[in-house]
Parts: sequence; C-alpha cells; structure tokens
Amino acid sequence: MPHKLSEIISWPEQREKAKTYFDSYGWPDNRNEAWKYTSLAHLKEGKFTASSDSAPIDSAQVIDSAAQLEGFYVEISGSAVQLPPQDALPNGISITDITADDNARAAAFTHLADNHLLPALSAMHQTSAIAIDIEKTDSAAPLPAVILNLTGSNKEGACYPFVIVRVHKGAEARIAEIHSSHAGLSCPLMVYEVADDAKLQHIRLQAEASYTTHLGLNQMQMGKNSQINSFAISMGGALSRLETHSLFLGSDAELAQSAIYLGRDRQHHDITSFVAHEIRDCASRQLIRGVLDDKARGVFQGKVRVAPDAQKTDGQQMSRALLLSRDAEADAKPELEIFADDVVCSHGATVGELDENLMFYLKSRGIAEEDARNMLIDAFLVDTLDEIEDPDFAAFMTSQINRWSLARR
Amino acid sequence: MNLLEIKNLHASIGDTKILHGINLTINRGEVHAIMGPNGSGKSTLSYVLSGRDGYEVTDGEILLDGESVLEMEADERARAGMFLAFQYPVELPGVTGMSFLRAAVNARRREAGQDEVDQLEFVKLVRAAAADLGVDNEMLKRAVNVGFSGGEKKRYEILQMSLLKPSLAVLDETDSGLDVDALKIVSDGVNAQRGGDCGMLVITHYQRLLSHIVPDFVHILAGGRIIKSGDKSLALEVEENGYAGLVDAA
Repeated sequence: MPHKLSEIISWPEQREKAKTYFDSYGWPDNRNEAWKYTSLAHLKEGKFTASSDSAPIDSAQVIDSAAQLEGFYVEISGSAVQLPPQDALPNGISITDITADDNARAAAFTHLADNHLLPALSAMHQTSAIAIDIEKTDSAAPLPAVILNLTGSNKEGACYPFVIVRVHKGAEARIAEIHSSHAGLSCPLMVYEVADDAKLQHIRLQAEASYTTHLGLNQMQMGKNSQINSFAISMGGALSRLETHSLFLGSDAELAQSAIYLGRDRQHHDITSFVAHEIRDCASRQLIRGVLDDKARGVFQGKVRVAPDAQKTDGQQMSRALLLSRDAEADAKPELEIFADDVVCSHGATVGELDENLMFYLKSRGIAEEDARNMLIDAFLVDTLDEIEDPDFAAFMTSQINRWSLARR
Repeated sequence: MNLLEIKNLHASIGDTKILHGINLTINRGEVHAIMGPNGSGKSTLSYVLSGRDGYEVTDGEILLDGESVLEMEADERARAGMFLAFQYPVELPGVTGMSFLRAAVNARRREAGQDEVDQLEFVKLVRAAAADLGVDNEMLKRAVNVGFSGGEKKRYEILQMSLLKPSLAVLDETDSGLDVDALKIVSDGVNAQRGGDCGMLVITHYQRLLSHIVPDFVHILAGGRIIKSGDKSLALEVEENGYAGLVDAA
C-alpha cells in the first residue's frame, strides 16, 4: 500500500487517473499480495453479491438499535442523502452535501493512496459525498455525536458513499458509522482529518445483508498532538473487507484502533490495516480479535511502517482469532517495516481454539460445557471493549456483540 | 454409605500409567491428607477425581455417595457435590467474578432442584462469604483471577468452595505459593467448612499445611500407590525423616 502525499489535482483529473488505474489493473486476484487471502473473483465475473448461507441481518433491527445512540443522524442511502437541518445543529458542527462540489471532493482526496483499488472505485463511482466539520466551541460540554446511517436497498446495484470528517484544531468529535446496506456491493470511503490538538471518538459497525460484498476504506489522518480512539465491528455481509489507512502527519499523536470480526456460516471477513509512522514521537495501539464459527474465514493483514525520521515511535499490534469449528479458518499477516532505530514496536498474532484449561476450570465449577463455551467466547470479545473511551459508544458496541452471541446460540 | 470410595484405581495419561491401584474411603466430616514426593501421582489423583479430559481410568472404580462417577463429565461431578481447589487457578480475562460465581452456584442449585438465587440476594451472600476470607469488593469486581496475587487466587478458590458447599472438597497443594499469613487465612477458611457433611481430601507435599488443617487420616502416596496410612503423626514423621525411608520400606 504505497502512500504518496500528492498535491491537489482537479476532480475530473482524479477520476481520469482512477479510470486509467482500474482499466490497467482491474479487480485484483490472489497473485496480488494485498489480496492473497480475499478473492474478488465474483466481481471480476460482473457479479456484485456473494453467498454466505448466513441468516440475513435485519437492517431495521440494526437501525433501531442505532437509534439508542444519542446524536444527529445523517442518512445516506445510495445517492439519496438526508442531512439534519443546519439550524438544528449545535455550534461547532456543520454538515454539507458536497456531491456537486468538485473542488471539495478533490481536496478531500489529497492524502489517499495512489494507485489503490478502493480510492479508485470511489473516485470513479461516488454516489454521494458529505463533509462534516467539527470545530472547537467555548462550551465545556462535549459535542453530541454524529451518527452516519449508511444503507442501500438495491441487491443488483452498488453504492459508493463518501464522507470526509474534518475535526478542526483543538476540537473533539464523536462519530458513529452504522453500515446496514442491502446493496449488492457496498464501497464506503471515509476520510477522517484530525487536526492538531484535536480528538476523535469513533465507532464503526458493519452489519450488512448476508449477500453483500463490503469493501470499505477508513482513512485516518492525524495532526500534531491529536488523538483517535476507534473501534470497529464487522459482522454482516457475505464478503467483507475493511481497510484502515492511518497516517501520522504531526508529532505526539496517539492512535488507539481496535477491530472485531464475527463470522459464521460461509462469511468471509478481512481486516487490513496500514499504519504509517512518518513523524517522530507518535504512538499506535491496535487490538484485533476475531471469532469464526461454521465455515467462516477471517483475515487480518496489518502493516506498520516506521519511517527513518519517526524516532521514538511506539507501535503495538496484537491480533487473536478464535476458531469455534474445525471448518473455520483464520489467516494473519502482521508486517513491521521499521527504518528508524530508536523505537518500541511489537506485534503478535495467534489463532486458536478455546483453551482447554479454562474450559476445565469452568466445568469443574459445575458450569455445563455449552454454557462454559459461551462464557469464554463472550469474554474473549468483551475483554476488548475496555478500549472504547466513550461510554455511550461502549454500551452500543457491547449490545451489538451480545446480539451476535445470542443469535449464534 | 461412604461419601467417597476409591477402589483399585488405575489411571493413565496417554500411554503413561500414573496410578497403580489406589484404595481410599472417605466418610462425611472426615479430613484426609494425601502426602507424597514430586511425581507420585498426587495431582493426577485430583484430576482423575474431578474428571479432567485426558486422564483415563483403566481399572477400578470411584463412587461418590455410592454412585459411580466414571461416566460423568467434570461439570456433572461438580454439580453432584465434588469440588477441586486448583493448585494453579487459571485467569479468565473478560469473565467478571460475580457472573462466574453466580453461574456456578446456580448450576449447582438447579441440579438440587432449588430456585436460582436472584442477583441482589447473591451479591449479599458473596460479600458476606468474601469478608470472612479477606477477599475485598475490588477483587470481586475484577475478572476472575486476573491480576490476583498467588495468595489472592487461593483465597478465591476457598471462597468458591464456601459458596458451592461441596460434599467432597479436594484441595490440590493449596499451600503452594502462600506466605505464612495467607496460609493462615486460607486454612481458617477451610476449617470453617469442616465438620457437618463435607469430606475433604487435602493434597500436599509439605507437613506445614497440616498443622493448620489438622487431618483425621494421613496417607502417603508414592509411585501411584498408597504405601502407608496413619493419623496426623505420620505427617510429622515425614517432616522429620523425609519420604525416602518410607518409600524404601515399601
């Protein structure tokens, strides 16, 4: 995933570049190292949907449960966009439809990876574009959350929503992404620009239809002394890939980024992350957990790059996958590329079944096999939720995990 | 009827035979100590009794209240009244103490045809039992055994025992890793549950635990057999002369 800090080029040029790229490379196959474990063969054949045999997720239920989150809702369904009226928004939050604003779209693309499938798809097909600006206010109270409901109903179609969130200097933003699309192909692209001294609390739930192909990219750009606390759950879709690209653009920034994937039946979940430490004195901490039942497959690819000038980088990454069935499969590819000599970096990846020692301990207390299993699976997931700083967000994500757990039983 | 009857028990792990014909009878209210050198089969005996996978009984019988437990899973044995205090209690990240304790107690109550305890009543019950063992509220809020010291883990085992009220408690090297003060607290907790219907099997390498939990009977285990049985004076004899003489004499 080569990143280049490109200069702003006009939107028509951007689109032209994307087309040229896609015309030459097309859908990647498994000879492409970045797509070794995730096959897009059905897209190559012109089919958007994939098959997972999984019980369909009730999107109404997902949206209902999202309604428990307090904040302002942005509804994006394909090219239909519904924004809260600007006069209803508090000072410090503004939300703009930039679908027709080529300059704004071009500017938002500045730091995205060149020659990369997901930005190229977005540039070629964008169905809507929204800009959210969060500014520092005089009030001591935190700003309300902005909740993005990303849906789509056309099984034969595709949606390519684009959102840029700019958290301006010194501001603190709370953003939730709820993906519950029923489109055949869902390709959301989110850019988070977190300026100097700014802070972002972020959650992302992917609970799309059982046949949907989900190819999402979350780009995080961090200014000096900024902080991001991000947590993602992927549990829907037939084939789902979430890429996160995190770029440190100023020193003393901190990124805490966790993700959970939950797979059953023949679902395929892929979490691919790239953290670029270009600047010194920054810290990244990533926790990835997966639970795979039936014939589900999980992939984690995590690259951490520490540039020669990025001294005193603290980069931590840990991924663990739990297999509940003999037919489930997990692949992990952690990569550290360190070019600086004064850094603390660690990574680890494990794939395993439920620990027999823990099972025996629970059973020796009279807890039946099935109950003991469920306790340990829940514990494996819930243990990560401490990573979420925002209490409302934590409660919401906990309820989603519980919902999945109960449905699995 | 005897509480526990072990008859001619042979057991293996894989192809390795560990127990070579153990006979032992425990009545309600009795405390039996099993002492033995390293590798004598002490821990194997505790795991075979509690039904751990991977330990195969090749011959003999284990009867709890006159019923064979050999076909029972570990959880069934526990609900039937057996309790194992672990030598090395495991950490359960993400499993909070209260939910774990409640699941265990309710599993046992359901088996006995009793109503489950409601949450509020249970919290009171646990706090009272915990206070006696010096287990503070902070510990109860944390995940099971996570970040506990060695002594705290052992106290937590005894807390579970006092809540589950087993008919047979097997204490596997409960003294290991304990300093003198912790040993006293844990022993007091065990002694508080003595008498009545509960029988105990205290497994230990050293005599020192047995000066706190004074046994009615002492058995020496070596090479997978009980080579000598006696009263508490046998433990003192071991303390004085070591195991070597006893093992050679057998």
